[in-house]
Amino acid sequence: MDDAQVVATLVRRCVAGDAAAWEDIVRRLNRRIYNICYRFTGSGDDAQDLTQEVFVKIYRTLGSFDVEKGSFITWVTAVTRNLLVDHFRKTKQDRVTDSLDNTGAEDEDLLPLSEQLADNGPSPDVRVHRRETQEMVQQALQKLSPELREAVILRDLQDMDYKEIALALKVPEGTVKSRINRGRVELARLLSRTYRQVM
Amino acid sequence: MQGEFQNGFKCADFDALLAEAIDGTLTGTQLMRFEAHRESCAQCSLLFTQARAGYEWLEALPEVEPPVALVKQILAATQETARAETVARHARQSWTERIRELLSAKVRPVFAAVAQPRFAMSFGMAFFSVTLMLNVTGVRLTSLKHVDLRPSSLVRGYYETTGRLVKYYENIRFVYEIETRVRELKRAATPEEKPSGTDKQQDRKEQNRGNDREKKYENYSREDSQPYLATTGNGLQDVLAAVRRWS
Ligand SMILES: [Zn+2]
Repeated sequence: MDDAQVVATLVRRCVAGDAAAWEDIVRRLNRRIYNICYRFTGSGDDAQDLTQEVFVKIYRTLGSFDVEKGSFITWVTAVTRNLLVDHFRKTKQDRVTDSLDNTGAEDEDLLPLSEQLADNGPSPDVRVHRRETQEMVQQALQKLSPELREAVILRDLQDMDYKEIALALKVPEGTVKSRINRGRVELARLLSRTYRQVM
Repeated sequence: MQGEFQNGFKCADFDALLAEAIDGTLTGTQLMRFEAHRESCAQCSLLFTQARAGYEWLEALPEVEPPVALVKQILAATQETARAETVARHARQSWTERIRELLSAKVRPVFAAVAQPRFAMSFGMAFFSVTLMLNVTGVRLTSLKHVDLRPSSLVRGYYETTGRLVKYYENIRFVYEIETRVRELKRAATPEEKPSGTDKQQDRKEQNRGNDREKKYENYSREDSQPYLATTGNGLQDVLAAVRRWS
């Protein structure tokens, strides 16, 4: 059984009221959903709340998902994306105006665990530099419009293919590609400007 | 725009292939025409450079670790949702709707089982005990001589009496089933109190007592009666053979 089949079986069991199957679904998907939310909002707290919200929504509407019809991952991504867009409309970009240099130690715990624990990894200088770079990219990502942001997150961070993204966002594949291109280009422009300022 | 119509390959065509070009999945003629345009069109060349730079910047972003407590939080939140929805649905429903829901969800299988001819037949067999039949019809053994013992009336009497008994038994069984389900519903609808400290044992005791009660009903309706019915099945054959001998 491949991963999709395993998930389809879990969904069927879950709809039939199997609590263990639901827990399995949560364990398999929480990391992925949390990462999408984190990269979209740029905030660990928001990502945590939104991930929980996404799962509650999935739980309540699981019965409407057609196992035969499409990929569960795509469906879950669509649910996630819709909640993110709602969240974006509600909060209307108040964080985006933050300047790039006021991110600090509060995000330290959001580094990958391997990087936090690695004793024999890169030297402290390299690590600090890498972390600064990551923060800058994240800040720039925050400045993209939600359409471009979600497109590059799903493609470049979640490795979804164009077809899956098109299904999740409910737009044609050509539109997906064009948004990814524009998102990447805009990100590069923002960062080249920032980089000149910071360095 | 320079190079816009070179080889019939426009900037829009370049744009359409840009994502795949960065993926590195362009091949053959497409790749050649894409590269030719890039070299001849400054604007598209810049787009390509920037798109690739953006892609590389994003590569720098690692996967982040979700908080350790996230899974627990999610499970707690969904459990709470499930409970709230059940309570809310029941609050909206009238009593008749709730009963109907109960019937459709839980009791239907019981009806189905009772409605099976084989099952109904075993009920008939079970109650074809001469003593029981005579008791129910109010006939005393001492006054047996007054009873019409002709086979035809005996057989008719059997079917009328057992018919009544089967109905009576089904009704009783049905009532027990309903009672059990209503108890279950009550338990489900009452918000579960988190047992704390010394209450735990008390709670467990309560629950065990509940289980015992339930088991009793289960035993009455399923485990006890069925084997009994099955073993008394032969009785009918004997009586029918006797009736046949008499006629
Ligand atoms: Zn061009």
